Amino acid sequence: MTTARPMLGSVVALAMACLLAAACPASAQDSLGQPANTPPDETSFIFRRVPDITITPIEGSPVTLSALGRSSPLVITFIYTRCGGVCSPFLESLAAAARQTGGLGSAYRILVLSFDSRDTLADLRAAARAHGLAADQGWIFGAASSPDIARLARATGFWFAWHWSSGQYDHPSLLIAVDQGRIVRMLAGATIPPSRFREITDELRGKFVPSYPAQNRRVAFRCFRYTPGGGIQIGWGFLVLLAPGALAISSALWIFARSRGSAS
Amino acid sequence: MPLPVAGDGLWQEGEARAFRRLTLAWMGTMMFLFSTMLLLGYFMRLFQANAFRTMRPEWFYAVLTLHGLGMVATWFVGGMAATGYLLTRYSRPSIWISRLALAGTLVGAGLLAAATLFGLFGTGWYFLYPLPFYSSGVWPPWATGCFFGALALLFSVWTIWVLDLLRAIASRFPLRQALGWHVLSGRPSLGVPSFVLVATVSLIAGAAGLAAGMVLLGLWAVEWLRSGYSNDALLMKNLTFFFGHIITNITMYLGVGVVYELLPGYAGRPWKLSKALAWAWNTVLLLVVLAYAHHLYMDFAQPRVLQDTGQIVSYFLSVPAAVVSIFGGLALVYAAPMRWTLASWLFFLGLMGWAIGGVGAVIDSTVALNSRFHNTLWVPAHFHTYYLMGVVLMLLGFAHHLAVDLTGEPERPAMRHAILALLAIGGYGFLLAFYWAGAHSVPRRFAAYPRELSQGVAAARVAVVFIALIVIAVALYLWETARRCWRAFSA
Repeated sequence: MTTARPMLGSVVALAMACLLAAACPASAQDSLGQPANTPPDETSFIFRRVPDITITPIEGSPVTLSALGRSSPLVITFIYTRCGGVCSPFLESLAAAARQTGGLGSAYRILVLSFDSRDTLADLRAAARAHGLAADQGWIFGAASSPDIARLARATGFWFAWHWSSGQYDHPSLLIAVDQGRIVRMLAGATIPPSRFREITDELRGKFVPSYPAQNRRVAFRCFRYTPGGGIQIGWGFLVLLAPGALAISSALWIFARSRGSAS
Repeated sequence: MPLPVAGDGLWQEGEARAFRRLTLAWMGTMMFLFSTMLLLGYFMRLFQANAFRTMRPEWFYAVLTLHGLGMVATWFVGGMAATGYLLTRYSRPSIWISRLALAGTLVGAGLLAAATLFGLFGTGWYFLYPLPFYSSGVWPPWATGCFFGALALLFSVWTIWVLDLLRAIASRFPLRQALGWHVLSGRPSLGVPSFVLVATVSLIAGAAGLAAGMVLLGLWAVEWLRSGYSNDALLMKNLTFFFGHIITNITMYLGVGVVYELLPGYAGRPWKLSKALAWAWNTVLLLVVLAYAHHLYMDFAQPRVLQDTGQIVSYFLSVPAAVVSIFGGLALVYAAPMRWTLASWLFFLGLMGWAIGGVGAVIDSTVALNSRFHNTLWVPAHFHTYYLMGVVLMLLGFAHHLAVDLTGEPERPAMRHAILALLAIGGYGFLLAFYWAGAHSVPRRFAAYPRELSQGVAAARVAVVFIALIVIAVALYLWETARRCWRAFSA
């Protein structure tokens, strides 16, 4: 008897929890990875092979990632359609950067995957239409099974965490450039500067990308700065390079000028 | 006649004797360091030949660092000491500054040895940014401090020494004469020896190289002492090779200057300061500070214009000085009443080795070829050619010349033939193993070669046989020369 009442209470609590879980839009099981304030470290993922998951695009039949990447390299990104935060402005920024840099559809395609298991193809189609991208052959909106999304997310450092308080996911905005099944470049950030996006597309076109920006470091005396258009600006570091020669010449001139009297 | 000549208005007898003893001390230091570094080089090739299978590869990289820096330092100070000694014929280099440089060099060499052999500091001589800060637990922080302390000490005393030799030249020759500009404008040579032209060019360039080294060390120190600040990797690499390339280049030029001054004594003809010679060496002065850019061909962040400059300047730097020196050397020796001794043979062979290594360097400085040869054993092949078979022979020749000059002891022809034959066969055999491996794309700086690069092991095994001949040759040379030097020093 003494045990019956607590047992009954446990059953009621469990039943209420199940009901609540069913009613809520997502559960804690939908979170993946460790939230972090810094973007994934590209050096940990570069040249890693991505898992060959199956994707169901909003148009057409299911297809593997390797089959999608066979015709052209891919820029993969993760969103979810109910996002009240970064996803929508991020897609706008990405679309604008893609327009400015060119080559979308011919040199590469953008694969937008939902990481939210509640998103249906209809949701994704609506999101694509809302951003005016549904008819663009360069864009592929699609979904994949939760295990496949989890595999791809782990392979690329992507994470998402459900926030009960806001009813929203916390997640980074991430671009992953994949060529021949391997990650060749990554870019994190809510807005996509065209200059940085050009680095990605150049990489996918097989062009050699000569620079990486140093992050979180105060660098003094840079030799050169590269402008988004590919131009070069000379920095103070270049003047530092001229200093030894100038010092040597002025020292020599001073020594010879000082000794001129005794020489004559 | 031994220098400095006492009673010529420049030197008193006591000062002259002190300067001779100091030069002998320098030569003793040079021979000791050379023998040590040679054995370390032997160790490295044995390591690559899989002779020390159980030894940690960290030892290879620590020894690589010490061997590289040690050899450059050894021959730089050897060239400087020889130049200072020969300058006593015309002016008065400071004996105290030379003593300071000797003390600083010995302490600096000791610190380098401690950092590498006790601390296993193994970044290579180029200590490329930011590698010294990222030891992965291989070397402790004190080794990094010891290494940079050694460089700071060496650069400081060498800078003072370089400026003092420039002062000595300036006290006798105005700049336009020292640089041969009067010859370029059609006037006679006015008794300015070609050696002085080469020395002036080398010392001005050397001052620039050492200044680059000091700036480099300053930037390293700021980053080390101030957290949150980082240097521009491209600037650091530019400065590293600005300093490194110039110091190695002027070491060779100092050796060539010694040959200009001493070989005519054996040929019985002067090596005149001609217009071609003046043009060539002024071109060197103009371009030597830019040629280092060919070390950065693989640095894609370096603008294309600098890469192109590196290639063009490398051609214009190497060719004129080498052509006038080789042509001048051959013309000097041809049909001359030549007195062939160990010293004169070493001068002549050194000049030729410098030219052969120069051809290898010009090949490597060509962008299209460098993309194939970069960081293969071709690179150590060419710099060992103009070092080991170039400036090393020239300065060994100087030390022997000095030893014979001061003791008056005649040399033994059989010994001379043995040393020269062993050096030539051992030296070029050793180099061919490097060239062959480089042409087969065997990479450099590998402690142990994996199975895919088994050619590297085969080449190292061939090389160790020839290095054994070099070691025997050097042992015989030391028996002949170091003994004489000691006798002259003790007298």
